Amino acid sequence: MSLPALLLAVQEGGAEGGGGSPFDINPGLMIWTVVVFLVLLVLLWKFGWPALLKSVEERERRIQHQLDEAEKARAEAAQLLEQQRRGLEQARAEAQEILAKAKAVATQEREVLLARTREEQEQLLDRARREIDAEKEKAILALRKEAVDLAIAAASRLIEEKLDDEANRRLVLEYLASLEQRP
Amino acid sequence: MTLQGPDIGAVIFAETSDSHLIELPFGLGEWKLPTGWKLFGLDVSPTKHVVFMLVAAALVFLTIWYAGRQVQRRHAQGRAPGGFGAGVEALVLFVRNDVAVANIGHGGERFAPYVLTLFFFILYCNLLGLFPWGATATGNLAVTGALALTAFLTIEVSGLVALGPKGYLKTIVFVPPGMKGLGAVLMALIMTPIEIIGKLVKPFALCLRLFANMTAGHFVVFALLGLIFLFGNWGVAAGSVAFVTFMMLLELLVAFLQAYIFALLTSVFIGMMQHAH
Repeated sequence: MSLPALLLAVQEGGAEGGGGSPFDINPGLMIWTVVVFLVLLVLLWKFGWPALLKSVEERERRIQHQLDEAEKARAEAAQLLEQQRRGLEQARAEAQEILAKAKAVATQEREVLLARTREEQEQLLDRARREIDAEKEKAILALRKEAVDLAIAAASRLIEEKLDDEANRRLVLEYLASLEQRP
Repeated sequence: MTLQGPDIGAVIFAETSDSHLIELPFGLGEWKLPTGWKLFGLDVSPTKHVVFMLVAAALVFLTIWYAGRQVQRRHAQGRAPGGFGAGVEALVLFVRNDVAVANIGHGGERFAPYVLTLFFFILYCNLLGLFPWGATATGNLAVTGALALTAFLTIEVSGLVALGPKGYLKTIVFVPPGMKGLGAVLMALIMTPIEIIGKLVKPFALCLRLFANMTAGHFVVFALLGLIFLFGNWGVAAGSVAFVTFMMLLELLVAFLQAYIFALLTSVFIGMMQHAH
């Protein structure tokens, strides 16, 4: 379509459609508007909005419910975790206690054992000392006997040499006396 | 051949005003609407804007009904929302929660269906005007006036119900708290006309705002296109079409914006009346 033809068409349309200015108010149209609007309002009120909003609200409720459930589950899990942790702590404390007790018992046992050992040692030492004393006593007695024997042997030799020598006899006695004094 | 320029003003008025003729697309000619329908002496024969209002109402109903069915079906099947229903649902929930309930306050859910219907009806009327061969019913003072009238009645009647006769009377005969005797009478005499004017101005502003916004965009579009015929020049035509494209996009925004504003202000006014004590 060329521009002049378009122009003509526009001119024609303008001339023909002329229903007045847009500022005219047609009361009949107002009635139509109110009727159309009210009918639409009633129809939507009955068949439109409830279907849509009910589903949406139900979904909201469902999601809220799920959120609540999740929150509950989370709280439960936290509680369980806390419980577990407390149990673990308790077990650890118990173990510590047992260890401490065992250590204490061991220390005590050692103490007792040590004491007993010391006592036994003491006893052993005592016995050894006593035996040594006894042996010493015995040895002294044996030595004395030996000495007397030796003296007697010496004396008999002397006697053989110089019988009845009063001076020699005294000498032997003195010697014996000196032996006596020695422990 | 000398061209006689068309009367651009007449064309604009003819295109934006109501008529008993509907131009059909794709060269199908015109549809002459019946005339002469009378009701209590008023001419109630259908016009172009009546037809487009009916189309808008039907489309709104189909949209909401179909979306409702879809959302319901998906909900029943336990599937996540999606598709067309979810889109409509988002818009519906926005208008319901952020426009109606947020501005009316507690008890706003009761008015939500009305505000929603208002929003979608105006939106669809606005959008139909953007189609080729379409007409903007909301660009007609009678239509916006009737819508404002229903808003006015909703605001006042809901106020009367919520406040009771005595409380409602206080929104008309205003006496500043603490004033007594002659001062109170004087204040009431001065304030009452102001209060009544205040009540009437709100719907009047609603009516004019919607009408002016919807009409003005079309005027600009037609005026820009008219430049082509005034100058008869391809360069001007290219510029005009570019501007018109921009204007149409702006009008798309305005269509949503004005539906939103009408619904929002109606909610605000209802809320003001509900909590006037």
